[in-house]
Amino acid sequence: MAIKRKKNSQQPIEGNETGSSNIEVAGLSQGQIIRKRFFQHKPAVAGLIFMILFTIFVYSASGLHLGTEANPITIKGWWKYSHEDLLPQGSCASGCPSADHPMGQLPNGRDYFSLVTRGSEISLMIMVVIGGLSAFIGTVTGAVAGFFVGIIDNVMMRFTDFILTVPFILIGAVIGYNLGNFGVFPLAIFLGIFIWPGLARLVRGEFLSLREREFVDAARVAGASNRRIIFKHILPNSVGVIIVSTTLLLSSSILLESGLSYLGFGVQAPDVSLGALISTYQGEFTYAPWLFWWPGVIIIAIALSINFVGDGLRDAFDPRQRRRISRKERAVETGTRAQVNKS
Amino acid sequence: MLAFIGRRISLALLILFGSTYLTYQLAAYSGDPLAGIRESTDPKKDVIIAELTKTLQLDVPPPARYFLWLQKALGLATGAPDFGNTVILRLPVIDQIAAAIPVTLRLVTTATILSVVIGISFGVLSAIRQYSRLDNSLTLLSFFLFSLPIFWIAVMLKEFMAIRFNDFLVNPTIDIWANILISGVIAVIVAGFVSGTRKRVLITWAATFALLVTLLGVASATAWFRYPVMGIFGIAILGVACSLGFTNIFSGFGNKKALGAGLASVALGLIAYYPFQQLAGPGTNYELMLALAVLMLSSSYFIGYFFTKIDKGPVIRVSMLSAFMVALFTVVDKLMQTWDGYFDLADGRPIQTQGSYNITITSNDFWVNNLDLVTHLFLPTTALALGFAGYLRYSRASMLEVLNMDYIRTARAKGMPEREVVLRHAVRNAMLPLTTLLTFEVAGLIGGAIITEGIFGWRGMGSLSNEAIQSQDLNLLMATFAISAFLTIMATLVADLLYSVLDPRIRIRK
Repeated sequence: MAIKRKKNSQQPIEGNETGSSNIEVAGLSQGQIIRKRFFQHKPAVAGLIFMILFTIFVYSASGLHLGTEANPITIKGWWKYSHEDLLPQGSCASGCPSADHPMGQLPNGRDYFSLVTRGSEISLMIMVVIGGLSAFIGTVTGAVAGFFVGIIDNVMMRFTDFILTVPFILIGAVIGYNLGNFGVFPLAIFLGIFIWPGLARLVRGEFLSLREREFVDAARVAGASNRRIIFKHILPNSVGVIIVSTTLLLSSSILLESGLSYLGFGVQAPDVSLGALISTYQGEFTYAPWLFWWPGVIIIAIALSINFVGDGLRDAFDPRQRRRISRKERAVETGTRAQVNKS
Repeated sequence: MLAFIGRRISLALLILFGSTYLTYQLAAYSGDPLAGIRESTDPKKDVIIAELTKTLQLDVPPPARYFLWLQKALGLATGAPDFGNTVILRLPVIDQIAAAIPVTLRLVTTATILSVVIGISFGVLSAIRQYSRLDNSLTLLSFFLFSLPIFWIAVMLKEFMAIRFNDFLVNPTIDIWANILISGVIAVIVAGFVSGTRKRVLITWAATFALLVTLLGVASATAWFRYPVMGIFGIAILGVACSLGFTNIFSGFGNKKALGAGLASVALGLIAYYPFQQLAGPGTNYELMLALAVLMLSSSYFIGYFFTKIDKGPVIRVSMLSAFMVALFTVVDKLMQTWDGYFDLADGRPIQTQGSYNITITSNDFWVNNLDLVTHLFLPTTALALGFAGYLRYSRASMLEVLNMDYIRTARAKGMPEREVVLRHAVRNAMLPLTTLLTFEVAGLIGGAIITEGIFGWRGMGSLSNEAIQSQDLNLLMATFAISAFLTIMATLVADLLYSVLDPRIRIRK
């Protein structure tokens, strides 16, 4: 309820454009308004569709490997080669892309398409783990610090500063490189444990300002517990900030993963990731540019579409930044302004 | 206030202690610094291992060894801070760092300044024209740049802006179709900045296109890329153009004083052109250049100051910026005069992809050395400057927020011209949150750009810490890490303080 009241009380202040948006959103719930605004944002919808299709495409290509090592359950994928097969060199001697190997072959005969899909799987997995974990830790820390100001806030924020000083490259080096290969999953977990300070600061700021608002006072007067105020009143109002920064965190974590793998501190052989593929084949740029192009283009495509989704969410959650003025309105406005200036 | 600062500093030291301790343990338990030596076939390796174990105190367990390190680093034992020696070459760590910091600063300073200036100005522009064609293209561009892994773009830059460009310089002619294509694309970008009717945009496009086709044609015919010249006339044309541009931005052409002051500064720069050629010979130095720059800027300040009696701000700004641009063009002109000689020294491949200087060039010529620096800086600076996308998005968001404030509406309602509303009321307030970002950026400068330094072979702080991790060199690692952690913590403190000083609405909570 608090959310709705807040929205309604804000809108009349927002000026001329809200006249139309009031009609636009009449009778809709908060969630419906946000969904509607999001689906009006064309690039964001395109990004979302791309991400869904791409994830399905990548995971279905090599199939799913579930179950334990002794008792594996495998669902076969639709792509004919596995990324571990050493195949005879195809029609093109230099390993260039052909109908049989759409992304070419490595000098040792491995099919590059299956390597790239495998790498994308791992990169996506790392991205989701880092993003989810850091969103969780960041939100909890920021919420607690911002709600219980004073000593708790101070302790938590100094702890955040402490985490901020630990360099990612060292985490990557210790987990992925120096201690031998722990595997991809622990690497993602450890990176997620250290990447949340930015989000925590944002959420704290949001909580600090929201806790002073009237609806929080009203809830407190009505006898609501701290837990209820946090979860029912403040968190729903700051969910926009959290979701938007989490999406941006996702896109930066895929770049972080590829950067670490590029330095040799991220994903280690025999695992592959998009960053590791670029790192391995960057020297081949002159002779076999496709080995370099494909993983790079995919990283860019993933990060770009996530950024667009984040932008769409921001517009959907934060109507204050949206003052869409049509060409006609602008002409009228500038016309009036010109007249005022003349007179 | 003082109590607050004192408390924060003591807390900062505590955090620094904690994070160095954690890092030390992580790094110490992550591997064996003697692994390389153990695997070697050197007959004396047992002696070396025993000796290194002793000097590096590897027999002390890491939780205790940290305190030995701390004691030395703080200089408690000898009175001077001692970060120990590196493992392999046994060189003092402090010397390595002292050598690396200037390299890193040289690499990142230009790039940071460029990205801040480009990012903020485009961000403000993008916000004023929200949801226009320009705004949408800039948004698309910045998202694209966000999504680029820097190592990927670096390989691209090496291939297309260095290797292919150097090949092109052998026979620097542009054929007519390439010329039309390049000019067309650039003209589209320029026309994108123009707002207004379709006709106006098309006229801008056509004019830019015609100008560029002619310029590139002439450049191709005279092999300009191989023998570039600008000369006093080039400087004059560009300087006047810049001064007109600044007048248009900061005061509008209605303000004749600003226009006059800007043009006067350009004229001053042009008068100084021939004396400068005499003064700045091959044996010149940075002190003289700095003195000349200060002289030029201060005289342009006084030009602006005495040109008008009222509202000196915009006039001074226009005249100083015009003077700065003319001085910059004069230096570029001087570098262009050096280009031919440098081209031969660099064996016909002037744009460099590796290193921070060319070891085969041993010249005492100030300009040759600086041109060498420029050709080495070109690629990494381009790669790093693409970080302007972050500033663009940030300043756009901040600007949009401010533009919706009540005081902006009040300013408009008073009948203030839109330029004044934007420049005096909106931009200044919108830049406040950016100070926080900038503090962190400046602290991060010293830490270095690990990936960029690695790709372009610069031996700065980033390469140093990378190397330290690869070779398990605890002394080196801890020294680089302690410096960057210290700067990060100080940056959070400075950001908090600066913000409350700049924005009186925010008060430090007791």
